[in-house]
Amino acid sequence: MEPVILGLVLGGLYALLAQSFVLTFITTKTLNFAVGEFVALGAFATIAVSSWSWLPSFGRVAVGFLAASVVGALAYRFIVLPFTTQGEHDTRWLLSTVALSFVMLNLITNVEGPSPQRSDTARISGSVDVLGVGVSKQQLLLAVLAVVISLILIVVSQRTSIGLVMRAVSQDPETTSLMGISPRLVGMGAYAVAMGLAGLAGVLYAATVGASPVMGAPLLVASIAVAVIGGLGSLWGPLLGGALYGVLSEVASFQYGAIWGETAGLLLVIAVLVWKPEGLLGRRMEVKL
Amino acid sequence: MSTIEKSPPTSAAAPEPQRPRSHVRSALRGDILFAVVAFGIAVLAILPGRDGAGTSISTMQLVASMAAMTVAAVGLNLLVGYTKLVSLGQGGFYAIGAYASAYLTLDVGLPPLLAILGALALCGAIGAVVAVSSMRLRGPQFAVITLVLAVLVERILNEGNAFGRLAGYPNYAEHDTTSMEPVSVFGITFRPPMIAGEVATVMVPIVVVTVLVLIIARNIAKSPWGSSLSAIGESEMLAAHLGVNVFRRKISVFVLASVLGGLGGVIVTQAFAHLQPETFDIYLTITIVLAVVFGGSGTILGPLVGAVAIVWLEQSDILAEIGSFQQENISDTWYLSTSGLVGVLFILTLFLMPRGIVGTAGQLLATVVRKSAADPDAASTEGSASTADHPAVTTTASTDQHARVERPPVAAGADTSESMLRISGLSKNFGGLRAVAEMDLAVDGGQIHAIIGPNGAGKSTLANLLTGVYQPTEGTVTFLGRDLTGQAPHHVSRAGVARTFQTPQLFHDATVRANVLAGFADTGRTPLWAAALKPPGRYRRDAEMRAEADRLLDLVGLGDVADLRASELPYGKQRYLEIARALASDPQLIVLDEPAAGLLATESVVLGDLLLSLREEGFALVVVEHHMDLVARIADQVTCMDQGRLLARGTPAEVLSDEAVVAAYLGKPHEEGTH
Repeated sequence: MEPVILGLVLGGLYALLAQSFVLTFITTKTLNFAVGEFVALGAFATIAVSSWSWLPSFGRVAVGFLAASVVGALAYRFIVLPFTTQGEHDTRWLLSTVALSFVMLNLITNVEGPSPQRSDTARISGSVDVLGVGVSKQQLLLAVLAVVISLILIVVSQRTSIGLVMRAVSQDPETTSLMGISPRLVGMGAYAVAMGLAGLAGVLYAATVGASPVMGAPLLVASIAVAVIGGLGSLWGPLLGGALYGVLSEVASFQYGAIWGETAGLLLVIAVLVWKPEGLLGRRMEVKL
Repeated sequence: MSTIEKSPPTSAAAPEPQRPRSHVRSALRGDILFAVVAFGIAVLAILPGRDGAGTSISTMQLVASMAAMTVAAVGLNLLVGYTKLVSLGQGGFYAIGAYASAYLTLDVGLPPLLAILGALALCGAIGAVVAVSSMRLRGPQFAVITLVLAVLVERILNEGNAFGRLAGYPNYAEHDTTSMEPVSVFGITFRPPMIAGEVATVMVPIVVVTVLVLIIARNIAKSPWGSSLSAIGESEMLAAHLGVNVFRRKISVFVLASVLGGLGGVIVTQAFAHLQPETFDIYLTITIVLAVVFGGSGTILGPLVGAVAIVWLEQSDILAEIGSFQQENISDTWYLSTSGLVGVLFILTLFLMPRGIVGTAGQLLATVVRKSAADPDAASTEGSASTADHPAVTTTASTDQHARVERPPVAAGADTSESMLRISGLSKNFGGLRAVAEMDLAVDGGQIHAIIGPNGAGKSTLANLLTGVYQPTEGTVTFLGRDLTGQAPHHVSRAGVARTFQTPQLFHDATVRANVLAGFADTGRTPLWAAALKPPGRYRRDAEMRAEADRLLDLVGLGDVADLRASELPYGKQRYLEIARALASDPQLIVLDEPAAGLLATESVVLGDLLLSLREEGFALVVVEHHMDLVARIADQVTCMDQGRLLARGTPAEVLSDEAVVAAYLGKPHEEGTH
């Protein structure tokens, strides 16, 4: 039971990041492979303002969110958007975001140094008892947040005009732009929210493990795996994918050792892609000739 | 002169025996020149190490790193550059090749050469598994699955005890040494560049292998096998219609790329005799992608140029100097060092040189060449444009007699009592929508069967059912007595059915001639070994195909623009080009999906002449068309569909005056939309 609970909690962190992949994918059909560095950016931005005692800790967390969010919007405008102009098969954005991740990682390392820094903002100590398993409150917060944010996103996308615009842009950017909606602005908005979420995850994650430039890299692969398992086109996907991935990798590493934990999770991605390339909750698109 | 006879290529070449032979000779000359220059450069590269001077060690190591990166990048280029599948997993195969060849030698105890072969086979096998499991994926999902592989490999190397983890491989704890024994074959020991005074003999096989890989990759890229990769990159559906088994070919190319990635790793093992897991990280896999993109993806020399440039940049002091320059002049902390600068270089390449060094240089060269060539020709090109607008008119008149003799026996030989194409009871449901319902159709050689109907009538779906894009829900398709029901597009194409598309599907960056060349059955049928090794027969066949392609281009009136890029053709001519490509596969039946869409009235007339001349030659044509004047002029039989069903059938005059047909189009029985 213990690995299952821990897996679900761990899956929450991945789900939160996976949500940022889904968010950019459903609006712009792109993924930001630099998302790991936005995690670190958020964490360090919060640390940078941690000495501002006049700012309540909620405000400091917001700074982490906003920093990642502003850089995210700019990244979309200048690094992603120019490389999506050649139609569906254009995958240059994939390379440009990978390159962005190199640049950001290098810059953060040079500025902040490679060793982890302690972050006290939004730290909750102690643990709670979940079905007989002790779970740290910090991690539980991340998991709960992932669920809450996913639900908010789902409600927004289905019930509000913003959601309608998002879905319209994802289906047909050209027609949407004829309706007077700028797909570019929608894309920047989506990236702002998505990278903000990554920054937020970074702030909360740094409270447990400390902030370091490379903190996001291991999360990148796991969260992209979660997003793919659940389906890149579905806002429900990260929750399902996170739960499956988290539980499977925790159980496997509990049983067979740490190296098998991650391997099992990644093999799950391959299995899902083979069986259902669009993800467990994704919808298949018919190719029209 | 321009007939579409189905004669054997030798007799086609008969009137001009000089041309094919001179093509063979110039192709052979080009290949030999490439090999000689490549080997010459390779010799020059390892010349500094000939006496084993201590000062040459670092140079030799640099050359070895460049060679390893080149081999891996050449493999990746086949995927990224030609097939347009962005793989982030090449670093994984590189690592597998390096570690497996070392592990099989040291821990398993295989003879070194066998260990290397085993490592390559392992890379191929893993590549095959990944390929099979990712075949339905494109774009980001494919990148993700390959990235997952690279990460898995990195984790296993970093955390698997068998590989010494951070102590590297081999290491003292397990092998009592930190470097591998040099490989000995037939009494020759291939020493790595490590110890001063010892000649680094391993450099010879390293550069030889690198040059051979380059030659093989060049052969493949220029072969029909290579054009099938470009076809897949353009559109898998198009490739399938050119007779390519897309599934198998994608697996082959991925396996080939994986083996080459592994070979790069093998070179590293041989050159450095020791492996550290942290050198095989994600950064490596991205660097290989960068080498391809920076050098020029989809070009023959791009991976070489890119790999050499990137390795040199990383090993030289330039990037470090730029880093310290920033520190001194801008900020002590806000600066970029090597990996960040590589990232910037990557982004700048994508912005400024999307074709990479080689691609951009080639483009500039082509522009210069064309400018100097264009001036005297300008007038004649302009002049020929008007005559080229009426290509088929003249040819038809002059070739009628020859053509009729040559063509029909093939069709007649199959079964005279039955039609060439027979469709019966064909239906297709999309969910609840019945797009095609119980259609029957029979077409014979030398016949044009037009299919008309309002938008959404199911015409294109019928064409797609015919060529295997969709599986029919019910009914059968028989072609030349063979059952083609539900066969994949490449089977249909190989059976002798060619098609053109509603929007021309061309290789826009390739020349007009190359587009036609891709249409030959060779694109789907050439085996990989023949493409790679280029046996003598290949030269002859290439020359034949070239002559035939030029003949087909003359036929459709594009003879004088054969060297232009396809995207430079006006829209109407792109349609003729597509027809020429369809003819190249030597079909019996051609399915044309709205060939006149977007054509000017005059162009449409020329198209009609061309189609009529094809009919004269014995081809069966199924033409989905909206232009009623064209249909009325060329069709022997017209089928009008409405809501998936047969509405009317008969001669053009009958169908176009049918009240139901007119009603379906206009909703008013007294107005005719045909003139």
